[in-house]
Amino acid sequence: MGAETARPPGLEPRRHPFWDRVEAIGLRIPYTVKLVAVWVALFLVLALAFAGAHFDTAWMRANAWFIIRGVWVTVFIAVVSIIFSIILALLGALGRLSKNPVPYGLAGFYTSFFRGTPLIVQLYLWYLGLAQIGVNLGGVWKTYFVLSAVQAGILGLSLNYGAYMTEIFRAGIQSVPHGQSEAAEALGMTYRQRMRRVVLPQAFRVIVPPTGNEFIAMMKDTALVSLLGTSIAWADPFRRATLLGRADFRSLEALVVAAVMYWVLTGVFSFFQRKLENRLAKGYVRTSGAPAPKDRRPRFLPGSAGGGQGGGGMMVEIPEPDTGREAPPG
Amino acid sequence: MRKSTIKLGFVLLAAFTLVAAACSKSKSGGGGGGTAASTPAATGMCATVDQNGTDLLAAVCRAGVLRVATDPAYPPQSSYDETTGTWQGFDIDVATDIAKRLGVQVKWVTPAWDVITAGHWSGRWDLSVGSMTITAERAQVLDFSTPYYYTPAGIAVQKGSPITSFDQLSGKSIGVCGACTYEYYLERKLDIPGYTPTYVIPQDVKIVTYDTDSTAIQDLVLGRLDAVMSAVPTLQAAIDKGKPIQLLGDPVFYEPLAAAADKSAPEDPTSFIQAVSDIITQMHQDGTLTQLSMKWYKTDLTVNPLG
Amino acid sequence: MTGNQAVVRVENLHKSFGELEVVRGVSMEVHQGEVVVMFGRSGAGKSTVLRCINFLEDPTSGWVEVDGIRLTGGHRTRAKREQIRQLRIRTGMVFQSFNLFPHMTALENVIEGPVTVKGMAPEPAKELGMRLLERVGLADKAEEYPIRLSGGQQQRVAIARALAMEPKVMLFDEPTSALDPELIGEVLAVMRDLAMGGMTMIVVTHEMGFAREVAHRMLFFNDGIILEEGTPKEIFENTRHVETRKFLDAVL
Repeated sequence: MGAETARPPGLEPRRHPFWDRVEAIGLRIPYTVKLVAVWVALFLVLALAFAGAHFDTAWMRANAWFIIRGVWVTVFIAVVSIIFSIILALLGALGRLSKNPVPYGLAGFYTSFFRGTPLIVQLYLWYLGLAQIGVNLGGVWKTYFVLSAVQAGILGLSLNYGAYMTEIFRAGIQSVPHGQSEAAEALGMTYRQRMRRVVLPQAFRVIVPPTGNEFIAMMKDTALVSLLGTSIAWADPFRRATLLGRADFRSLEALVVAAVMYWVLTGVFSFFQRKLENRLAKGYVRTSGAPAPKDRRPRFLPGSAGGGQGGGGMMVEIPEPDTGREAPPG
Repeated sequence: MRKSTIKLGFVLLAAFTLVAAACSKSKSGGGGGGTAASTPAATGMCATVDQNGTDLLAAVCRAGVLRVATDPAYPPQSSYDETTGTWQGFDIDVATDIAKRLGVQVKWVTPAWDVITAGHWSGRWDLSVGSMTITAERAQVLDFSTPYYYTPAGIAVQKGSPITSFDQLSGKSIGVCGACTYEYYLERKLDIPGYTPTYVIPQDVKIVTYDTDSTAIQDLVLGRLDAVMSAVPTLQAAIDKGKPIQLLGDPVFYEPLAAAADKSAPEDPTSFIQAVSDIITQMHQDGTLTQLSMKWYKTDLTVNPLG
Repeated sequence: MTGNQAVVRVENLHKSFGELEVVRGVSMEVHQGEVVVMFGRSGAGKSTVLRCINFLEDPTSGWVEVDGIRLTGGHRTRAKREQIRQLRIRTGMVFQSFNLFPHMTALENVIEGPVTVKGMAPEPAKELGMRLLERVGLADKAEEYPIRLSGGQQQRVAIARALAMEPKVMLFDEPTSALDPELIGEVLAVMRDLAMGGMTMIVVTHEMGFAREVAHRMLFFNDGIILEEGTPKEIFENTRHVETRKFLDAVL
């Protein structure tokens, strides 16, 4: 195209016949097949590593059930802790947004301390430090301050994650357009009514994806609780793995089983999180008509961003931290 | 509305988990995996104790339960068999017997080892029967009973290792469990009251600490260490489980192992640990300890090697 | 009905944003049943005055009185916040960007005020809401979410939402400025209808046609003050100030 005039160097069209061929072949393979192939290939690599390590698979099979059974502890501690964390994060966020120096200062100190010290140190503080205070004060303090490992774990995780999630909640609340607050105020709503009816429900949608991620991360941090010395009844997969591994000198095999268990667990919860996000998308996305032709990603495979972004038309701008992958071109 | 059913689901889930927690909650340091029932044979020592006293012994007798800290994965001293839901081991049997002779039930508690040796248990459990060596440092925070057995400490190397004598350990790496007497021995800082150890290991060994003996042994097998120092029964257990290691030479020292109570316990532990000591002396005299030692170690470790 | 009651009174209002004084001494009165149009260049201060009336902006000096509640600017104590709230309950505001609540249907938007603020029971509130939606011509869209409505439809729902509180005065802040041209008409029709029904209205707008037809009085804002005021006839045909004429020529 165009006359054969001399072109400056750099404007010569680049040619890569090899990659052109690869792309041409690639275009003919459906997206799903390619995605599945990637996962299969990666699992093959893992399998090779597995085989190369010469694990005692018989031992793993014999003890897997004992290790896996502890997963209810993980879920329990994580669920209870995330609930408390959400409450703390909401209070912290409102504090950080407050013009009143008292809540602002409190929230600032809270986030600074609990984000600034390691989680394991905090857990020991609650388990050992608080207990010592209780014993020294005596009486009723002793009963309430000497916590079990699980109780100290829940307390520590709640406070720690609440501090991190304060930022998530604050950003979520601030993402609600100011006009919404104004409209609510113009109707004569009080601060509380405004928050409850207008701001927080809208902030909720922005807050859910990163909160879901925090929950999934927390499920793995619950393993730290076992370092405080939980009982057998309250032993999570990590504790069970370390105990069995230690006793039979098979720590690596035991920990691999525990790792797989955590992986499956996070996979399951990631799936449910995506469902929740899609359900929350109503009211923000036009669901009339078929999904946009470019979005051929299948909805059922792990790792694919869920639907809910299909269709043209008006969509309120919501930041999507993790799931906002664009549809693949072509 | 769909949204409110999701919210309702969360609320129910939260309520359920909180209720489940309340039902299975226990305030002591982690709760026990199960209680070992002790058949109340003759009247225990508690029968002669003033139950209204304010000391730890009275408190234990009043409660009818002895809370014992033990390690759930330290065979053959102590381990938890999940298929039967029972505790097994030398330390387990000794502690069970102590409780029986006191006239109370046993409740097992499983805190972390360094939490036990640090003292300041905050009243979470009463007694530690965990093959703990009496050292002067520990004696500052814990009250020890009479030793109930003596364990030899030894060195293990890889099977077929070229190291055949202690001198050849010079400059080599030795793995030990952290905060264990073996670490102090290698550092030549071992302080056992009434016992002066002879240091036969070269001073220039590289000491590598681990959270537990088992991890150190696994590293020895992998070749990351040249040797491991630990209790001989532990090393022997590894050999019996097929680990390619072998003992090097004779035991380098003998440690007296005793039960311990917390010096800073909310109730005064003096009379309590005295009672435990008396019971242990009894167990030495009537042959119970020897019997248990033979059962678990195939050899009598309860005789004081120092006379 | 006392037709000459002043529903809204503003006296010597000043508003500064930092160093910049945007409203430099505005006084006005709006009587019951009056439709007052405020017009002028952007930045002349008309929207600011409107937003001071329901205290979405805080006056730097001067006072505002709505339905007998007189307030000045300044620190908002708990008691004052409640007074402001009472004042706002008596005003209804329609925003340039509609500001409908996206997580509620049209009907839910409309009844939100009566139910949450006035404690009305849901059933009578729904009836009221449907009546108002009918009045703005959107009864069939009651169960739709705002995302599925056109701009003009959203603004009409917003008007219904404000009306649901049965305000003494309706405040319109450039209600059609964000609309596509073909949608402006339907909103203006609703506003005209309201005016004919006797609603007291203060409207900030550039729609001169609407002003000429519906307004009782027009206020020309220039540089933070009311430069000229009068009936539409006076403003359009007997313009007194050169600035007013310049503006009208530019807009018409």
